[in-house]
Amino acid sequence: MRLQVQTHTDEIQPYLADESSAVGRAEGIIFPQNEEEIREALQFCRQHGVPITVQGARTGITGGAVPSGGQVINLSRCSRALGMAWDETHQRFLLTVQPGMLFSQVQKGLAEKEFNTEGWSAESLRAYRRFCAGGRWYFPADITETSASIGGMVSTNASGAKSYLYGPMRSHVAGLRVLLADGRSVSLQRGEQFAHDGAFSLSLEDGSFIKGRLPSYRMPRVKNASGYYITPDMDLLDLFIGAEGTLGIVTEITIALAPVPALSWGILTFFEDSAHALLYVQALKRLEGKQKPAAIEYFDRACLEMIRREQIETHAHQGLPLLPPAEAVYTEFHHASQTDMDQCMRLTAGLLQSAGADPGETWMAVTPQDLDKLIGFRHAVPESINRVIAERKRDNPAITKLGTDMAVPDEKLEWVLGLYSGSISALGLEGLKFGHIGDNHLHVNILPRSTQEYDQGKALFLDWARQIIAAGGTVSAEHGIGKLKTAQLLAMYGEDAVAEMRALKRCLDPLGLLNPGNMFAWEGGA
Amino acid sequence: MEIVVCVKQVPASTRVRLNPATNTIVREGIDMMLNPFDAYALEEALRLKESAGGHVTVLSMGIHSAAVLLRQALALGADRAVLLSDKRFAGADTLATAYTLAAAVRKLGACDLLLCGRQAVDGDTAQVGPSLAQKLGVPHLSAVRRVCVASARELLCEKMTDEGYLEIRLSLPALLTVVKEINIPRFLSLKGYLQARGAELEIWGADDLDVDPARIGLDGSATWVVSTAAAERRKAGKEIHGTSDEAAAAILGTLRQKGLSKPEAGDARG
Repeated sequence: MRLQVQTHTDEIQPYLADESSAVGRAEGIIFPQNEEEIREALQFCRQHGVPITVQGARTGITGGAVPSGGQVINLSRCSRALGMAWDETHQRFLLTVQPGMLFSQVQKGLAEKEFNTEGWSAESLRAYRRFCAGGRWYFPADITETSASIGGMVSTNASGAKSYLYGPMRSHVAGLRVLLADGRSVSLQRGEQFAHDGAFSLSLEDGSFIKGRLPSYRMPRVKNASGYYITPDMDLLDLFIGAEGTLGIVTEITIALAPVPALSWGILTFFEDSAHALLYVQALKRLEGKQKPAAIEYFDRACLEMIRREQIETHAHQGLPLLPPAEAVYTEFHHASQTDMDQCMRLTAGLLQSAGADPGETWMAVTPQDLDKLIGFRHAVPESINRVIAERKRDNPAITKLGTDMAVPDEKLEWVLGLYSGSISALGLEGLKFGHIGDNHLHVNILPRSTQEYDQGKALFLDWARQIIAAGGTVSAEHGIGKLKTAQLLAMYGEDAVAEMRALKRCLDPLGLLNPGNMFAWEGGA
Repeated sequence: MEIVVCVKQVPASTRVRLNPATNTIVREGIDMMLNPFDAYALEEALRLKESAGGHVTVLSMGIHSAAVLLRQALALGADRAVLLSDKRFAGADTLATAYTLAAAVRKLGACDLLLCGRQAVDGDTAQVGPSLAQKLGVPHLSAVRRVCVASARELLCEKMTDEGYLEIRLSLPALLTVVKEINIPRFLSLKGYLQARGAELEIWGADDLDVDPARIGLDGSATWVVSTAAAERRKAGKEIHGTSDEAAAAILGTLRQKGLSKPEAGDARG
């Protein structure tokens, strides 16, 4: 076995953690560079009964890539693009990559029309020449953390601001190659293998089948990253997307590309209070078809005041005009023509005026450079929160970041905004709300100033989770469950449903080798 | 105060792509943008107009696609926008560009203050502003980081130097080139954008200006681009993977193979 690192050196230390607060332990780490080496590593672990934690870029924040013993298989060196194809049916390019390739690397390669094509088939090279010859294409999956790996994005069904229009990662995966725990492999193309009324028969590459039953629970009608994606007649490709590495190791991903929109414009609109902001949001959410925005994001007054304070006190966020003390809604629009965009702008001006905003006070980005400034503002909010927490942690090590990832059905958006604000205010806590309001999915962060406030914040989150579950929402809309939210998944679906999830995993990974502890507790196959 | 701002459309990326068949630079499909330094000049002009009154005219020499920049300038609050566009202007170096711009400024009429970005990010010469001032016979300051109106005909400016800045008082009319430290440009507003949608742009050709044909475009240039090429890309290095011990052994082996390191006595890996 090549490249195995022993834990008594410092080599493995960085790989025992991801972007969550969890730190794990492992006996060793393996860095395969291709599917054959992944298979070899898997065989080694299977022969020795050693559990495996599969890692991508370790940008997750729920501990999914944090090992709890056993071996780590880190896929960061499986980072090449493997080929390209032209999909005549959908009139789009498809790009096949190894799981360790980063999202940012894919975007850069597409923007600069430059990939390492060594080893590509003749058909791939023909498609690549066609791709290089004209047109601009990009990968429309949208995520905030662009240093995530494509494999990681598959495992968590990653999403971001523009997933409001384009959908999460699942919407952009056309095919997967998956290595199962027993060494067999399956190549799945979208639209080829389906479950039927909850029963599935997965056809593998060697001609064998794995049969089983899907869990019977129904997923909530919201943006959701909690538990396995299950529908009775589902495309079996979707079983492995969002499965947090518990059902198989993804060795190749075929992603669907899209033409770069001719025009991508953003508008930041300011409101005096959340009631008026919500009026605007509700009006935007009624826009459908060509009028549908690409993104609808919300930032409460506390978010803007935090950034504004940094602008004044430390001259941070250079390039951004001074933010007003207000609430803000960011909308992005993608259109093919100036005529369409102008019509959209006139419509939007009317909507925001009706909601009490001043079109003369909006910040409008019509160039990539200005769009980048607004992206910078949007990313500044969680980054500034992290800075504040880091400072407070120096005085009180017990303090860590407290943030939610819950989403509710459309009809509960106003209710949940009131729930968050009212609870935070009643306890006198320092809290901020921001996020993907278009999907009724807000990140609420509490910034504790003491251990008592930290405990109050955690208790509040549990209370919110209970109420949001009862309202038909989800405990995790995009970050996934990992190892840190297994209790929330159990609370959301109940024992019976989680038992069905375990049964599904047992069907595809009888020994429980793959990422045990992700999503639900796993103790020797129980 | 009557203010003229000179702006330029430049490529949005400094990355050069070569046509593999002809080994020449690909110019098609390149995104263009407002020269970043000019954005600061325009913002400063708008601020001066808001504080001291007057009008802002935006002037640009370029191809027709530069019209989009001028519309954005109008949407931001400029009062007038003029595009100098003519095939006879093509190939102009900074000398010919400044000559042409000067002719346009004379045609515009009353002008108290000219504002330019310090330099264009594609040419990086920083010559057009000072050259324009010389041709118009007005004083100029470059690398200005702060402008205050001292009186009706005087400005107090801070000019950046290597050690800090100089405080300089100058009389109008004058020309300033500005640096990014001067302000933070405002965003377009939706209201401004919609109001400017129907605004008229003025497009002037060589025949609209009082210019000597021998002093515009390539004919009027003292310098010209002979050829352009991308720097030769260095070949990718060899990646070394493995633990620290493995990588160190591999590096040492490579150095010895190239005769750059001698084996030491007792060295098991020698």
